[in-house]
Amino acid sequence: MSGELLWWLNLLVGVGIFTLLAVSLNLINGFAGMFHLGHHGFWAMGAYAAAWLTRECAGSLPGPLLYVATLGFGMAVAAAGGLAVGIPCLRLRGDYLAIATLGFAEIVRIAIQNLPQETLGGSLGMPVARVLMAVGPDTMVAFRGLTLLIATAACSLVILLIRNYIRSAQGRRLLAVAQDETAASLLGIDPTRPKVVAFVLGASVAGLAGALFAHFQGFITPLDFQFMEMVKMFLIVVLGGMGSLSGCVVGAFLVIATEQLLNRAPEAIAEWWQVEFPLLLALMIVFRPQGIFGRREIGDLFRRKARA
Amino acid sequence: MSDPLFRTEGLTKRYGGLTAVSRVRLELREGELVGLIGPNGAGKTTCFNLITGADLPTEGCIRLRGADVTGTRPFHMARLGVARTFQNIRLWKEMSVLDNVRTVCVAGGRSGFWSGVLRLSSYRIAEQSIRERSEALLARMGLEGVAGERAADLPYGDQRKLEIARALALAPRILLLDEPAAGMNPAEKADLMHTVREIRREFALTILLIEHDMKFVMGICERIYVLDHGEEIAHGTPDEIRKDPKVIEAYLGGSAG
Repeated sequence: MSGELLWWLNLLVGVGIFTLLAVSLNLINGFAGMFHLGHHGFWAMGAYAAAWLTRECAGSLPGPLLYVATLGFGMAVAAAGGLAVGIPCLRLRGDYLAIATLGFAEIVRIAIQNLPQETLGGSLGMPVARVLMAVGPDTMVAFRGLTLLIATAACSLVILLIRNYIRSAQGRRLLAVAQDETAASLLGIDPTRPKVVAFVLGASVAGLAGALFAHFQGFITPLDFQFMEMVKMFLIVVLGGMGSLSGCVVGAFLVIATEQLLNRAPEAIAEWWQVEFPLLLALMIVFRPQGIFGRREIGDLFRRKARA
Repeated sequence: MSDPLFRTEGLTKRYGGLTAVSRVRLELREGELVGLIGPNGAGKTTCFNLITGADLPTEGCIRLRGADVTGTRPFHMARLGVARTFQNIRLWKEMSVLDNVRTVCVAGGRSGFWSGVLRLSSYRIAEQSIRERSEALLARMGLEGVAGERAADLPYGDQRKLEIARALALAPRILLLDEPAAGMNPAEKADLMHTVREIRREFALTILLIEHDMKFVMGICERIYVLDHGEEIAHGTPDEIRKDPKVIEAYLGGSAG
């Protein structure tokens, strides 16, 4: 009975984390009209930043306080990453930006993997001490329930703030730049600024998702942040609708639930999700091409990926 | 001695071997309404692109109240008070009519990121004044009834009017109109002529306009520059231009030599 409950809690926390990732990806790709494929890099930065701070400060701060501090730290590190990538790369367009951001995310992952093991755990992974509360067989349900509560609050807050941003004067300028950059700049709108703001904001939310993920898992490895995770986020955004925040919640639930159900299936079937998700994504884009970018770019990208 | 509001000196643009604009000298004095005409491909829109900073001149310079502003980036040029409309309408098509104007409108200053995200009272006050000013501009152009429509759904003539309303939202000193009457019927054109005269007075504008419709240009402009093959072949009052043999040849004689 409690096994079933644990399974559901696990699923819903996953939905929460992927809602954060999808909403922030949607801000960058859907609203700002950029073709960014390195969101898993910001996610990894947030997770590892939180894990690092937890290790360095464990014992010196009360647990729940440290937990909150690591969430903020994960956001800050990912935002700094977003700024560092954003300023040079946002001049790139279309699939050039996609390749640059994808390259960045791979660099993050491979760097973590190849740093000396005592830094961030290398390819063996890194434990994240339980600071929110003690976690054991008896308290597992409480821990997952509490995490779900925190994730839900984070999602609500982030969706509200992004919605406010989109509807504010700054958000209108972002949409104007996304729709017609030349017209925007000739009407007094600096085309770079709103894009950098949206990119950094999106990166920081991915960092928050990473920090939540690190604490929830209790153990992270570079394998948690592979390109397949980016495909999942992308699928959620396309499924829910480019430029729809609530769509992200629905999309996250559908995708994560499918994944978890497949995980329960016999191994022969479970293995197939790596094929099914990209296939579903390709089909969505062929038959519902309301996305910002043409299907050619997406198609090309996956062909490239398949060969690599 | 006072500098003219706006002036170009030896403005030249070459694309490879092609000279699109050659040593053009335009001058606008405060409050004037000036026409820029010429056959297709004469370099009129290129001039607009150079003036607004969308394109960099190969040679020459652009002066605003005597200050050299050559090479200023477009959004900065716009904030200095140079606004334009586009020959091939470039509205933000997916946005509402009101949002097209609101996005450009800077009434109440530019509100910051956090005040917008957190909906602070300073943001709400700024938004309120932006909305009021935008609605007033839409009303001025006769678009108050369609404020909530998607810009792309407006009829063609209204899209042109919306482009003017959007440009006015910048509170410009100089307004560049690129073929504002294109595609309009005679009644709409007469109406637009009236509106252009009125907004010049109400908003204390200096206007430079490109237009193919001679009746429109001759009827509204105080001075006219004529370009042909990128060069200024004549400039003067409408009466002088009408009688100028070079203009008549460029328009009617037409042999390219």
